[in-house]
Amino acid sequence: MDVAIVGIGIHPFGRTPARSGLQQGAFAARLALQDAGIEWRDIEFAFGGSASAGSADALVNELGLTGIPFINVANGCATGGSSLISAFNAIKSGQYDIGMVAGFDKHDRGAFNADPKELGIGQWYGEVGMMMTTQFFAMKIQKYMHDYNISTDTLARVAEKAFVNGAKNPNAWRREPISVQEIANSMMVSDPLTKFMFCSPSEGGVALVLCRADHAKRYTDTPVYLKAASMKSRRFGSFEVFAPSQALQQVDGPTVDASRAAFEMAGVGPTDMDVMQLQDTEVGAEIMHMAENGFCEHGAQEALIQAGATHIGGSMPVNTDGGCLANGEPIGASGLRQVYENVLQLRGQAGEHQVPGDPQLAYTHVYGAPGISAVTILQR
Amino acid sequence: MACSGQDVAVEELPGRGTLWTWTIQRFMPKTPYNSAETAQTFTPYGVGYVELPGGVRVEGRLTENDPQKLRIGMAMEVVFAPWRIDEKGDEVISFFFRPVE
Repeated sequence: MDVAIVGIGIHPFGRTPARSGLQQGAFAARLALQDAGIEWRDIEFAFGGSASAGSADALVNELGLTGIPFINVANGCATGGSSLISAFNAIKSGQYDIGMVAGFDKHDRGAFNADPKELGIGQWYGEVGMMMTTQFFAMKIQKYMHDYNISTDTLARVAEKAFVNGAKNPNAWRREPISVQEIANSMMVSDPLTKFMFCSPSEGGVALVLCRADHAKRYTDTPVYLKAASMKSRRFGSFEVFAPSQALQQVDGPTVDASRAAFEMAGVGPTDMDVMQLQDTEVGAEIMHMAENGFCEHGAQEALIQAGATHIGGSMPVNTDGGCLANGEPIGASGLRQVYENVLQLRGQAGEHQVPGDPQLAYTHVYGAPGISAVTILQR
Repeated sequence: MACSGQDVAVEELPGRGTLWTWTIQRFMPKTPYNSAETAQTFTPYGVGYVELPGGVRVEGRLTENDPQKLRIGMAMEVVFAPWRIDEKGDEVISFFFRPVE
């Protein structure tokens, strides 16, 4: 049983003081229902997640109390991916014909501050100041730059691209291009990463309507098929966020595992992808994820990025809607934002940020604490 | 843990190793950070993973916070130093990694 996406909806990302996170989620849900030409009462199940804006299933208070199963999902920044794979599995099982996935969030300003207890770590780790996602990403790219000769200029160019793409995306938060120089000279947050190289917690909501592939044409002329959806967590020996120690013998991380599983499920490879949305928590993450997801060899990113290959018009467009850097990071919604963007791309409806050449296959990748990754492959 | 076993033993780790990676925390973290600092007295601090031979890589605060003085591969050793005074007036000690002279 194949699965199709037949409706999509989004609430603009950024800061919307007038609406709660839940209201932004409901806004997106109503647009997705409209896009599919259905009512909330037609939805048979839902999965959703929000890290800071309450329970996702509170959406039924906004949309209607119809008695359906609505399961809340929490997997850090991978929440959107986890929600989607849950819905994918529900339809593939044959148990349901049509359902919704929703994600929304509304975070306070400033860096995320996680509680060590909630991840099974001693309080001391947070007390001495190591419970910071920013440190992990900085240390990981610091090592990567050393091992694979990635330059600081390349870090800045990834952010530059994000803001160029954000300017073309009406739903993005940061919609002004920022120069490489201004990015490099902005306040240092966690060496080697400056302020404009990091995403910021923000607000937003996305919803998708999924159904069995053989029913898709009832709802839309432009169904997008989920050829693969995979999710993996870390194996012993991989270097992940919030790790007080790590094994000397390293293994591949959950991104590599999830990516391989997805390509195998879909029966295609990295060179078949026409557009990619890769977790860009900060510029280093986008760079490293290009290789971890199989799109290039480690170190090849330097030449590719310097040549503009990852821009919308390039040979491997990455984060065409501006990614987390330009949209901010509302944890519950981001993974679904990536899928929303890919559906627009495959429908040919991405306007100013449309990848040329009639894209057929699109890829999403999310990574979240404490070492979880989810990947989808979409096909027109 | 790799094997899901519960029969574990405490191992003493070597006190010297090499700096595997590092960063400098430039802004004062929100709670649960609990030092004796205020927003005004906060000083950026180094954090790194030190590879202890034959053992593991351990994450720790560094005594050095100047990025010009930190290099992947440099020799580091563990030291213990006071972190803060707790509510009962007792000294809370933590471990840090210091560049080997």
